[in-house]
Amino acid sequence: MLSIKNLHASVEGKEILKGINLEIKAGEVHAIMGPNGSGKSTLSQVLAGNEAFEVTEGEVTLNGENLLELETEERAREGIFLAFQYPVEIPGVSNLQFLRTAVNAMRQHKGEGEMNAAEFMKLAKDVSKQVDLDPAFLKRGVNEGFSGGEKKRNEVMQALLLQPKLAILDETDSGLDIDALQVVSNGVNALRAEDRAILMVTHYQRLLNHIVPDYVHVLAGGRIVKSGGRELALELEERGYGWLGIKDEEAANSAN
Amino acid sequence: MKSAPTLSAAFLHPAGQSLPEPLLALRKQRGTALVDMPLPTRKTENWKYSSKYLKLTDEIAISLPADRKSGSSLAVPGYKVVFLNGVMMPEASEYPDLSGITIERFSDLDDDTATTLAERMDSTLDNNAVQMARLNSARFEDGLLIRLAADAVLEQPLFIVHEVTADASGSAYPRIFVEAGRNSQITLVEEYISSGSESVMVNTVTELALADGANVTSIRLNTEGENVQHIGATGVRQQRSSRFESHCVGFGGPLRRHDLQVRLEGEGAECKLNGVVVTQGKQHYDNHTTIEHVAAHCNSEETYRNIAADQSHAVFNGRIHIHQDAQKSNADMNNKNLLLSNGAEIDTKPELEIYADDVKCAHGATIGQLDEVSLFYLVSRGIGRREANVLLTMAFINELVEQIPVAQVRETAQARLNQFFDQTFEGA
Ligand SMILES: Nc1ncnc2c1ncn2[C@@H]1O[C@H](COP(=O)(O)OP(=O)(O)O)[C@@H](O)[C@H]1O
Ligand SMILES: [Mg+2]
Repeated sequence: MLSIKNLHASVEGKEILKGINLEIKAGEVHAIMGPNGSGKSTLSQVLAGNEAFEVTEGEVTLNGENLLELETEERAREGIFLAFQYPVEIPGVSNLQFLRTAVNAMRQHKGEGEMNAAEFMKLAKDVSKQVDLDPAFLKRGVNEGFSGGEKKRNEVMQALLLQPKLAILDETDSGLDIDALQVVSNGVNALRAEDRAILMVTHYQRLLNHIVPDYVHVLAGGRIVKSGGRELALELEERGYGWLGIKDEEAANSAN
Repeated sequence: MKSAPTLSAAFLHPAGQSLPEPLLALRKQRGTALVDMPLPTRKTENWKYSSKYLKLTDEIAISLPADRKSGSSLAVPGYKVVFLNGVMMPEASEYPDLSGITIERFSDLDDDTATTLAERMDSTLDNNAVQMARLNSARFEDGLLIRLAADAVLEQPLFIVHEVTADASGSAYPRIFVEAGRNSQITLVEEYISSGSESVMVNTVTELALADGANVTSIRLNTEGENVQHIGATGVRQQRSSRFESHCVGFGGPLRRHDLQVRLEGEGAECKLNGVVVTQGKQHYDNHTTIEHVAAHCNSEETYRNIAADQSHAVFNGRIHIHQDAQKSNADMNNKNLLLSNGAEIDTKPELEIYADDVKCAHGATIGQLDEVSLFYLVSRGIGRREANVLLTMAFINELVEQIPVAQVRETAQARLNQFFDQTFEGA
C-alpha cells in the first residue's frame, strides 16, 4: 500500500530525514518508535504533505501512485489520514462544520452525494460516542479549549469518520490517562481492517499492549536503524535505545 | 507654498427648493459656512489615509436627478423607505401607519416640526471632526424624519434603501433624523446600493436621538459599486438607560468612509458597535468611530474586523473619550485585522482619552494573516484550499455576522461575502 524509498526531507535547510525506507501492506499495523527529535513527526507531516518540509530525495507511493506529487487535500482524499501530535485549535469554526465539510469533501471525491445536516449530525453523534466525547463538543470551535486527551480523541474520531486507507497516528497515546488510553485504543482497533494500514508513531510501548503491531521500527537520527516484530518494542522498553548505538544525549532526550 | 485646496464653488448650489422654510434656511446657512471650506488633505489627521481617495470634481458636484422611478428590485419584506439619489421616494416606500410612530419626508413636515428638526439637526455630530457631513447639511434634499412616541415599538425592522443611479456623474445627499422617545424601540436597516457606472458620490448623514430607555438598533450595509465614493456619518446621542446597537457591514470601493459618533449623555446608557469591513482590488475603506462617555455608569463595547485582500487598504480609527464626570464607565474596544495578501494594508489606531479615574477601559488591536498551520490541518482532512480559506476567513468574522439581528441582512452580507471569496480564493 505505502512504499517509502530513500526519503530525505529537510526543514529550513536542515536535513531531518536521511533516507527512510519502509513498506507497509494493506491490513498491517506498523509502529515507529524513537527518541525525541529523531524525525517521527517530520515523517508523518511529510507523508501528509506539509509544505513546511521539503522533500529533497527519494520517493513515496500509495498503491503505486506518486504521493509526493499530490496536494495535501488530494492525499487526504486518496486515503491518507494524519492524527496530529498537536491538533490545532481553530476558534470560530465549529467542530460540526469542520467535520461535515471534511466528510462531504471525501464523499464528493468518491462521487457520492453530500450528507445533509441532519444525517451528518446523527453520524457524528454515533462516532463521538465511540470515542467517549460528549456530543456537545460538536458545537464548540475546532479543538477549542479541549484538554490534551479530548484533542486526541477528536483525532481518532476524525479517522473513524473519514475511513482512511492509511492512518498515521502521531503520538496519539501521549498525555492520556489509562482510561483515555483504553478509549483511544478501542477507537484505533476499530479502524483495523483488511484494506487499511495503520502507522503508529509512539514513544511508549504501553500503547502497543492495547494495539498490537505487526512490525516495529526504530527511528533515530532520521533513519530507521532497526526493524522487527512486536517483541522489539518490549526489548526497547527493557533496554532503552542505547544498545542500538543511539547517542546518549538523544536517549536522554527520549526520557523527558 | 501651494494654498490648501478648498471645496469647489460647484458644490455650493443646492437644487431642490421644496422644503419647509426652516429647513431651507438651515441649509442656506450651512451652505454659506462652506464657502472656502478647506478640504481634508494628507496632513488632516482624521483624513490622512483617505484624502488621496477623495475626488470632488465639479461633475460630481451636480445633484443626481431623482425624477426616475427607483430601479431597485430589492425584495424587502415588511417596511421600507426608498431613497433614490438622496431623495426620499414615498411612492416606492411602504411603511405602516402605526400609532406612536411617525415616518415623514421633510417636505411634508408642518412648520413647527420643521422648526424643531432644524434646531436639532447637526447636534449629534462633532462637525469639526466630521467635516464632510457639513456638505450634506448644505445639500440635503428631501430627507426622512422618524419619530417614535414614548413606549412606541416597531416590531419589524424598517429597511431604508439608499439607491444611487449612476447614469451620469453627480452626487446624492440622503439625510435622516430619528427621534426615539422614552422607552421606544426600533430596528433600522440602512442599505446602500447603486446602479450605473459613472463616477458618483453619496454623502449621507443619519442622526439618532435616543430618549431615556430608548432601544435602537441600526444596521448598515454598503454594497455600492466601484464607481461610488461613499462618505457617511452617523451621530447618536443617548439619554439615561438608553441602548444603541450598531452593526456595520461594508464592502470596499474607491472611497468608503464612515464616521460613527456616539455620545453617552445619560447615566446607564450603553452602546454596542460592531463592524465588518471587506476590501479587495485597490479598494479603500475608512471607519472612524468616536464614543463619548459623558455621563457616569455607561457601557460601551466596540468590535471591528477588517479583511483586506489584493492591494486594498482599510483603516480603523477608534476613539474613546471618557469625560471627567463619567465615573464607573466601562469601555471595551477591540479591532482585529486580517491581511489576505502581501499587497494589502491595514492601519488601525485606538485613541483613548480618559479624564475620570474610576473607569474600566480595555482596548486591543491585532493584524495578522490566515494561519498556515490551521490551513494545513483543514486541508489534511480533504477539505479543498478554497473551502479551507473560506472557513478560516469566516471564522474571523462569524461572531459579528451572526449577531446581526435581521436574517435578510445576514443573507445579503453572506452572498456578497461568497462573491468576495470566489474572487479572492479563485486560484486556491
Ligand atoms: N518546523 C520546524 N522548524 C525547524 N526545525 C524543526 C521543525 N520541525 C521539526 N524540526 C526539527 O526536526 C527534528 C525532528 O523533529 P520531529 O520530527 O518533531 O521529531 P520527533 O517527532 O521524533 O520528536 C528536531 O531536531 C526538530 O527540532
Ligand atoms: Mg513528534
